[in-house]
Amino acid sequence: MKPIYLAIITLLCAVLAVVGPASAGPADITVTSSATDPPVLMKGDTGTLTVTIQNNGPNTVAISSAKLYGNEVVPLSDSYASVGEIGAGNSKTFTFTVRADGGEGTFYPQFVLDFRDGAGSLRYPVPVQVEDTVLSASVIGMPDAFSEGRTAEITVRVGNPRPNAASGVQVIPEGTGITVTPTGGFIGALAPDGSATVVFNLTPTTETDVAFQVIWRNGINTHTTDLVLPIAFGEDKRQADPVITNVEVTPIAGGYRIVGDVMNAGLESARSVLVSPGAPATPIDPFRVYVVGTLDPDDISSFEVTFRADAGTTEVPIVVEYRDDDGNRYAATTMVGVGSVAAAPLEERDGGIPLVGIIIVALVALGIAGAIYYSWRRT
Amino acid sequence: MYDIMDTGFIRVLLNPGRFFEARMQGEPSLKIPALIALVMGLIGAVSVIPMTNITMAMLPAEMQGFGLLITIFLAAVAFVGGFLGWFIYSFVFYIVSMIFKGQGDLKRTVEFTGYGFLPQIFGGIIGTYFSYQLLSGLNVPPMTSPEQITEFSESLVTILATDPLAQIAGLVGILFTLWSANIWIFGMKYARNLSTRDAILTVGIPVGLYILYNLITLAGWL
Repeated sequence: MKPIYLAIITLLCAVLAVVGPASAGPADITVTSSATDPPVLMKGDTGTLTVTIQNNGPNTVAISSAKLYGNEVVPLSDSYASVGEIGAGNSKTFTFTVRADGGEGTFYPQFVLDFRDGAGSLRYPVPVQVEDTVLSASVIGMPDAFSEGRTAEITVRVGNPRPNAASGVQVIPEGTGITVTPTGGFIGALAPDGSATVVFNLTPTTETDVAFQVIWRNGINTHTTDLVLPIAFGEDKRQADPVITNVEVTPIAGGYRIVGDVMNAGLESARSVLVSPGAPATPIDPFRVYVVGTLDPDDISSFEVTFRADAGTTEVPIVVEYRDDDGNRYAATTMVGVGSVAAAPLEERDGGIPLVGIIIVALVALGIAGAIYYSWRRT
Repeated sequence: MYDIMDTGFIRVLLNPGRFFEARMQGEPSLKIPALIALVMGLIGAVSVIPMTNITMAMLPAEMQGFGLLITIFLAAVAFVGGFLGWFIYSFVFYIVSMIFKGQGDLKRTVEFTGYGFLPQIFGGIIGTYFSYQLLSGLNVPPMTSPEQITEFSESLVTILATDPLAQIAGLVGILFTLWSANIWIFGMKYARNLSTRDAILTVGIPVGLYILYNLITLAGWL
């Protein structure tokens, strides 16, 4: 053999050795991992499905296309039409956008890799979990009863019974005839089986329904769930209860004086307590209104009011006004009978001895003193 | 016939010394003093009338007759009270003057004490006027139970004690009592043959105590 031929053959072998691996088969390509984001979809959710493959063989593998097939979990994005080659030991990731169109459960859309040159294809079922459980919301703290204009503290707990975390969790109270602070509560991320609480100060002006709307995101999908709390007005079992006792009605010049005790028989403090006579009585000086101040539970304070009432009035209301800790105003009325007490003279006299009286007394005194002086002078 | 002008009521009031001195010349006579006590009793009975209206208003219809009885009884008590006061004062003065070795007929003491009540007639008239003023302004509610009547009566007492009119009436009454005391001093001086000092003490002690009691009541200390 001529040396030139030998050299050509050697060069060819060398080129062949460099260029080329002979076409490798699907046996060298494996799916190393797959994941969805969010990890667990809900019905109708859109998410991403990521599949990673690796070439475990010694040679480069040429891949024609990568596709995803599925009915319940439907791919929304296009297939990878031209993938190319993947070198030995290398890995490659394919991401598909999918939507959960079916029911709940675990579904297996097919990931298909087509190899070039008729080397066949790789089919791999990717597990995708779909679960429709929503976040739970419950009221864990509220007053025994609501009152008009009285601020009530309401505590809402949001729990996550889902197997994956929820993000951007917030609670928004909604309803008419209410004022709520804060207007929304932000919780943020909520881990699986985790919970968080939000406190609202709610002031109702009418009986109504309040909806606490829990909003959260599962991946890029926003979900809501509502918690409805009916607001019905009732009597607060703990509220202050001022009671008037030990009442004594005394007629005075131009009216009446009522002296008594006011006691707080409730379980909460009554603040800014004022005692005054109500219509038909007309308050008069010196005690048109009696300011008691704060009455703690079981506290007692005396009061005194003075008023004028028309002839024929047998009862007058004594009004106790007070506020709760939030400043809401309340009034309690107790009827006090004055009918069995002599009404004072109708014309109002100004407390002390009138001027005419003083003059009469002075004149009489002067006259008598004169008479006595005269009688001794004549003796 | 006893001549009123001769003795003169004016002399009793303004110059009791001279009056009693003159009276000592004659026999003791209780006619004029009894007349004074009678007038006092009548004034007392009249002053009860405004109370009648209140009493009648207080009582239910079926007990109006009872109310009338009460009124008559009260008027009778007030009437007798004029005489009662006269005799009580007389005996008190007689007994107190015994301490100062006073000498003289009891009848004379009773007579002169009776003259001393003359200013009280004016006091009684003014007091009755105040009483009318005070009680006519009262508004009496209808009452059904004895408790209510009791309560009303108690509050009436409160009003009578605290009302400025009542206080003025009380003060005027005390002033007229002082005038009477002045007359009694002269009366006792002659009736019991006392020195001026002893006569002042004889009258001053009981009357002073009475006025003190009245003042305390007026001031509301009791």
